[in-house]
Amino acid sequence: MNRSISWMKYMALAAVLVMVLSGCGATGGSTNSTAQASGGGQAGQAEGGNLTFALATSPDTLDPHRSGLAVTVRAIRTIYDNLVVQLPDGSIKPWLATEWSVSEDGKSYTFKLREGVKFHDGTPFNAEAVKYNLDRVIDPATKAANSLALIRPYSSSEVIDEYTIKVNLESPSQAFLGNLSQALLGIVSPTAAQKYGDQLGKNPVGTGPYTFVKWDENADIVVAKNKDYNWGPETVENKAAPHVDTITFKIVPEEATRIGSVQSSQVLAAETVPPQNIAALKNDPNQQLLQANTVGLPYTLFFNLRKAPWDDVKVRQAIQSAVDVESIVKTLYLGNYERAWSALSPGILGYNASLEGSINPDINKANQLLDEQGWVKGADGIRAKDGQKLTLRYVDGSPNREKRNDIAAIIQQQLKQVGIAVEVEITKDIATVIYQNWDYDLYGNSQVNSDPNALYAFYHTSAEGERPTLSGLSDPKIDELLEQGAVESDADKRVEIYNQIQQYLIEQAVILPTYVFPYTVAASKKVEGIKFDSLGYPLFNDVRIQP
Amino acid sequence: MVQTILSRLSTSLLVIFGASVLVYCIMYLLPGDPVLLMLDPSSATPEMIENLRVQLGLDQPFYIQFANYFGDMLRGDFGKSMINSDPVLPKILEHFPATLALTALSSIIAITIGITLGVLSAIHRNGVIDFVARLVGLFGISMPTFWTGILLILLFSVQLGWFPAMGSDGFSSLVLPAATLGLVGAGFIVRMVRNSMLEVINEPFIVALRAKGLSERAIMYGHALRNALIPAVTVIGMLIGDLLAGTVVVETVFSRQGIGRIIADALMAKDLPVVQGVVFFTSIIYVVLNLLVDISYSYIDPRVRRAVRT
Repeated sequence: MNRSISWMKYMALAAVLVMVLSGCGATGGSTNSTAQASGGGQAGQAEGGNLTFALATSPDTLDPHRSGLAVTVRAIRTIYDNLVVQLPDGSIKPWLATEWSVSEDGKSYTFKLREGVKFHDGTPFNAEAVKYNLDRVIDPATKAANSLALIRPYSSSEVIDEYTIKVNLESPSQAFLGNLSQALLGIVSPTAAQKYGDQLGKNPVGTGPYTFVKWDENADIVVAKNKDYNWGPETVENKAAPHVDTITFKIVPEEATRIGSVQSSQVLAAETVPPQNIAALKNDPNQQLLQANTVGLPYTLFFNLRKAPWDDVKVRQAIQSAVDVESIVKTLYLGNYERAWSALSPGILGYNASLEGSINPDINKANQLLDEQGWVKGADGIRAKDGQKLTLRYVDGSPNREKRNDIAAIIQQQLKQVGIAVEVEITKDIATVIYQNWDYDLYGNSQVNSDPNALYAFYHTSAEGERPTLSGLSDPKIDELLEQGAVESDADKRVEIYNQIQQYLIEQAVILPTYVFPYTVAASKKVEGIKFDSLGYPLFNDVRIQP
Repeated sequence: MVQTILSRLSTSLLVIFGASVLVYCIMYLLPGDPVLLMLDPSSATPEMIENLRVQLGLDQPFYIQFANYFGDMLRGDFGKSMINSDPVLPKILEHFPATLALTALSSIIAITIGITLGVLSAIHRNGVIDFVARLVGLFGISMPTFWTGILLILLFSVQLGWFPAMGSDGFSSLVLPAATLGLVGAGFIVRMVRNSMLEVINEPFIVALRAKGLSERAIMYGHALRNALIPAVTVIGMLIGDLLAGTVVVETVFSRQGIGRIIADALMAKDLPVVQGVVFFTSIIYVVLNLLVDISYSYIDPRVRRAVRT
C-alpha cells in the first residue's frame, strides 16, 4: 500500500516535469500559418546543403517493383522516374515518355520516349529498358508486390524502335496510364536489375533527380543530387538537377523522438506529425507545418456482408445512424484530420462531393430500424433476436496507427447506446483473421491510389477461386458499373459512373467512411520548396535550404 | 578451473541448441503465414502465394525445414531474410557492435551508480543519501524504459540541446540511450547491494573486525563489500542479459541501429531466418555471461575457488 502511494507520487512528479518541459517548448508567441504545400516559387538562391528528413518507418526495399510499403515511396521518388506523371487534377502529362497514343480498342498504348536520358550507372534509357521493366514486374521471379496490382492488365510490349514502345493490355483499362505514374512502377536500370537481382533494393539505380549513396539499415538512407538531371515532370518547378547536394532520410519510428529531433534541429524535417503535436509546432517560430491529404480510399470501415445480420441493409443503416463519425474524428484528431464522407477521398477523379453532409447521427432512427427488424433489447440492454445477441466483431490490425484502436473503442461505446455489443479484436495477424478466415463483421482499411478504379478490388463480386473482397458485396448492378468505369474513355461519363457507385455504397450502408489521412511534415523554416505529388507523397526537386 | 570451464562450455552448447530448437518451434507454430505477410494481401493471387511458398521451401514438412535450416547454420549459412533477401549473418555481424557498445556503456553506468549508491545508502542508513539512493532505485525499476527515454530526450535534447535525440553516430549519440538503460539497471543493483550490505554489516565477523580495531573504512570496503558483492554479481550477470533485451525498446526510441531493432522488425514480419540468427547469437552472449559470472565468484570469494579445485 505504502509503496504504491509513493510510486504514484513519483509518477505525478515526472508528469509535472514533462508538462513544464513541453510547456516551455510551446511558448513561441509569433503567429505562423499552416503552409498548404509551400509554394517555393519565390525561394532564394541558396544552393547546396544536406536535407535531413526523418521517416516514421523503415522502407522494406528500394526496389520499387518489390516494395509493399507507402514509406518506401518517399525515398524511391527521389531515385526513379516514371513514364508519365499525374497532376493533382487527374490529368496525365509526359515524363520519361514524351507522347503516347491509344489504339481504337483501348488495348494498346504506343509511347514515344525521351531521348538522351541515362540511368545513374550510365545505361541508356530506351524502349528496351522500358520493356525490361514492364516484363520484370509480371515475372514471378521478381516477387513483385504492390506494383503487380498496378500494372494489371498488362500483357506484353513490343520495341518499335530505339525510342518507341508499344504496350499491350489484356483488356482496356482507364486506370493503367495513371498507374504508370505511380512510384512503384518507377523505371529501374536493366543493367543494375540484372547485376544485383534480388539485391537491387539495396543497390537502387534509376534515372531520377537523386542518385543512391548508401543505406545503413534502420539508421539512414542517403541520396545525392544527379548533376545530369534535366527531365523533371510538371509537378515540380525545377526540371534540372536539385538545389541541395544530398538528402539523408533518417529512420525514426518513435513519434516523440521524431518530433524532438526536429525541435532540437537534429533534423530539418520530419514526417507524420501526431495530431497532438500539431498545435505546438504551429506556434513554434522556427518550424513550419506542411500538409497534404492523401488520395485514394480514405480510412473506411467495411461491413462483412457475407455474415448475418450484416447482410441486412436495415441493420447496417442502423449502425450508420448510430455511429457519430464527426465526433470521433474531432475527438481523436483535434480538428487536424478531415472526416471522410464517401468510399473515395476528395481530390480523386469522380469523387462524389454531394455525399458530404448526407449521413448524420440519429439515435432514434437507429433504434427504430433495429426494432423493425425484430432486434429487441434484453434485460442487459443488448438486443437479441431468436435467442441470438446482436454482436459486432470489430477487427483492427494496427498497433494503434493513427489512433485506429481508439476509433474501435469509441464505436464500441456509441453502439452500446442502441443495444449492440461490440467485440473489439486487435491483431497483427490480419492475413489470417481477415483474408484467410473472414472472421470479422467490421474491418477498416485505406489505400493510396490515383484512380477511382481502386474501388474494383473492394466491391466487385470476386471471381470463382479468387479471394473475396473486404466488403463481400455482390450486386450485378455495381459489378457492371465497376467494369464500365475501368474502360470508359469519356471522362464525364466516368465521373458519372463513379458518382453512382459511391452513392450506392453510402445508401446501402456497405461502409462507414471515417477519416482522410493527411500526410504531415514538420520542417525548419530554413527549408523551402518541399512539395507533394497528386497522391500526397513529398517531392524534393525544388528544395532549398536557406543558411 | 580449466576443467570446469570446459564442462560448462559443453553444457552451453546444449543450451544454445535448445534455444534454437525452441525458437524455431515457436515461430513455426505462431499463427499467421509469412508468405501472406510478405505479399500485399489485397492484390496477391493464390498462385503467387503458392509459388513464393515453394521458393522459400515452406511447403516442406516441419522436420525437413528444420533439418535444412540447422544443417546450413552449422556450415555458417544463416540463410537470407524473407523480407529483403539480405544474408542474415553479415547483417547480424554489422549490427552487433552497436548493441554491444550500448549494453557495455549502460552496464558500466548501472554498475557504477548501483554499487556506489547501494553501499553508501547501507552505510548511511535512513540518511539523506539513503533516501536519494532508494529514490533512484525505485525510479529505475518502476519507470517504463521508453518513458525514461522520452523524458531524457525532452530534457537533454529538445530543451538543453546537449545530446542528439537519435542516431548512432559517435559517442554523444550513445549517452542518452545508455543512460536510459543504465538507470533501469542501476535501480536493481542499488536495492540488491543495499540489502546484502545491510545483512553483512550485522554479521558477527564485522563485530570481530571492529573489536580488532580496524578502521570503519577498511571494514566496510575491505571486508563487508567483498562479501556483499557475491549475490550482487549474480544479479549483475543476469542484468546484463536484461540490458541486452532492453535494447529492443531503447534502440527503437532513440532510432539506433542494432540487434534489438533487427529482431523487433523481424518478429513483426515473421522473418524466421533473421529471428533464428539473432536468437542464436544472443544465446551465445547469455551463456558467455553466465560463465563469466561463475568465474568471477572464485575471484571474489576464495571459498568458491577452493571448492572448485577439489
